[in-house]
Amino acid sequence: MTSPTSGTQSRIEVALATLRQPYNPGDVPTFVSDLTVGELILLEEVGYRPIDIVWGAGSASFDPRFTNANTEGTMWGQAITSAIDHARAAIFEMVQRRHGAGVVAMRLEFEREPFNVVTCSLLGTAVRFDKSGGHRRAHPDTGQPFLTTLSARDFHLLVRAGFEPTAIVRGAAVVGFAARSVSQSLGLARDNVELEDQTKALYSAREQAMEALEREALTVQADGVVAVELQERPVNSMLTHAVEFIAVGTAVRRGPGSDDALAALRPELQLTLNDATNSAFQSS
Amino acid sequence: VSTGAADAADATGSAGTGAIRPRTPSSDLTVAEAAALRRLGLAPVGFVMGSAVVQLVSGISGQMYSTWGGFQVPGAAQGYYRSFPCVHGYAMAANVSEHFGFNAENVVLESSVAYGYELAITRLQAEAQGLGAHGVVGVDVRFEYLVGAPGTATFLATGTAVVHPGTPPLPAAFATNASGQHFERLVAQGFIPSGLAVGVGVIYVQPNCAARGNFTAMGANAQLPEALAAARGRAREALASQAHRNGEGVVHTSWTDRRVVRYGESWNQMALAVGTAVRRFSEEHEPVLPRAVVPLRP
Repeated sequence: MTSPTSGTQSRIEVALATLRQPYNPGDVPTFVSDLTVGELILLEEVGYRPIDIVWGAGSASFDPRFTNANTEGTMWGQAITSAIDHARAAIFEMVQRRHGAGVVAMRLEFEREPFNVVTCSLLGTAVRFDKSGGHRRAHPDTGQPFLTTLSARDFHLLVRAGFEPTAIVRGAAVVGFAARSVSQSLGLARDNVELEDQTKALYSAREQAMEALEREALTVQADGVVAVELQERPVNSMLTHAVEFIAVGTAVRRGPGSDDALAALRPELQLTLNDATNSAFQSS
Repeated sequence: VSTGAADAADATGSAGTGAIRPRTPSSDLTVAEAAALRRLGLAPVGFVMGSAVVQLVSGISGQMYSTWGGFQVPGAAQGYYRSFPCVHGYAMAANVSEHFGFNAENVVLESSVAYGYELAITRLQAEAQGLGAHGVVGVDVRFEYLVGAPGTATFLATGTAVVHPGTPPLPAAFATNASGQHFERLVAQGFIPSGLAVGVGVIYVQPNCAARGNFTAMGANAQLPEALAAARGRAREALASQAHRNGEGVVHTSWTDRRVVRYGESWNQMALAVGTAVRRFSEEHEPVLPRAVVPLRP
């Protein structure tokens, strides 16, 4: 790598000389980010600069006793959905207050407590569009900040491929099923049979969750949804037999000239010449 | 620019240790990190460490429970406090304590943890300065319960001190938790790390009936999201204000949300953020548009 130099000084000398001067904070707001250096560079390359770390959280509880074969767990599904929605609304408001163009490098976590409380938390870095730093393209003026569940690397790729992220979309569903027979639940049954109720419940939960996700994608006029995270969890206890399905992803829109952008991104094949690590140095 | 161990030893000698004698520098750099630093003209001076074993003090206004376990309502608590009354409206019922909840900023634990980090980091930088180094790269900052009784924590900051031979010492050695390769990229992008920034936020959470998931109080609860947001807010605020004194921004923040369990069903919701404050010394940098590749693996 060649370093640009100023006069006869090398780049590192210029950098160290800067540290010799006391820093004058002035009125310039400090940017705060949880980006790695690599992520910072990837963002600057497509014209975005970090503003602040932003977050949102939502929490809700539900009563699993009402979840059985007859009452599909609408309350439960709604509780999970409302936790995600609250988190999403909170982070959206925070980005808007910071006048951000959007948020990237997102962390999405579900925390579950005893007694059926689910908490959804989001943490990411709000970014602004900065033409001077950008080499690629202009920021689409949608008037609203975009939310993503993407890492900075994925965001960089997405932007270079000519797509625009628009919003986080989600779907969650809980479907109950009948309890197994006494001999089955005691492990006495010896037949290889499919537990059709449970398979059906899983399919039904998947369908409902994905439908909700797609409905949301339609309302934000997205061309598709990427980076969808799926969580599926069977819940089998004394009184509760249900399956939970959560889908969260990023809705994207195809920008102008995305075909050319995609063509320019055609990956080149790379044959790495690395030798395999000598097994003598690997711990067993 | 010639670099290497001999130059580093010269720099060490000229920084006031008196005797100039050849010295092999230690480091905890990987080979790739050492190569990246060498491309910049930096040489390792030695492995440096700062540590402090600190008594962690927890509580709201110092003392949360009175001598015999009776509960003191922290009305006069410092910082953020909010009560979350019973959603059923059981104002006078016998089980009111299970239904009543509150969030209160644990200012004492916040400052304990921040103090421990500060001691470790200051000592790390002082050690580097003593070696005549310009800065420390690849700093690993953490706290563990290694030494001492419960209620104490060991704060550690370790890294490799580096020097640019021929450049006079800085007023204070810089420090960054970025690796050698990341440091090289940071300089190429026009940033120089000025120091580490730490943010700590702790909210003591006593959940009310809704936040406990009481079967008769279903639906959204406000207490848990607010506790998380308040802890993160405090950590961000501290991180930003430290960084504001040192540079334009913070990168490479390692962010941790953790619960430190205390009595019964209550806990301390803690947010820890350690990052690198950076100063932009140049807006000029070469575009580094990464190529897309698909490795052909056997």
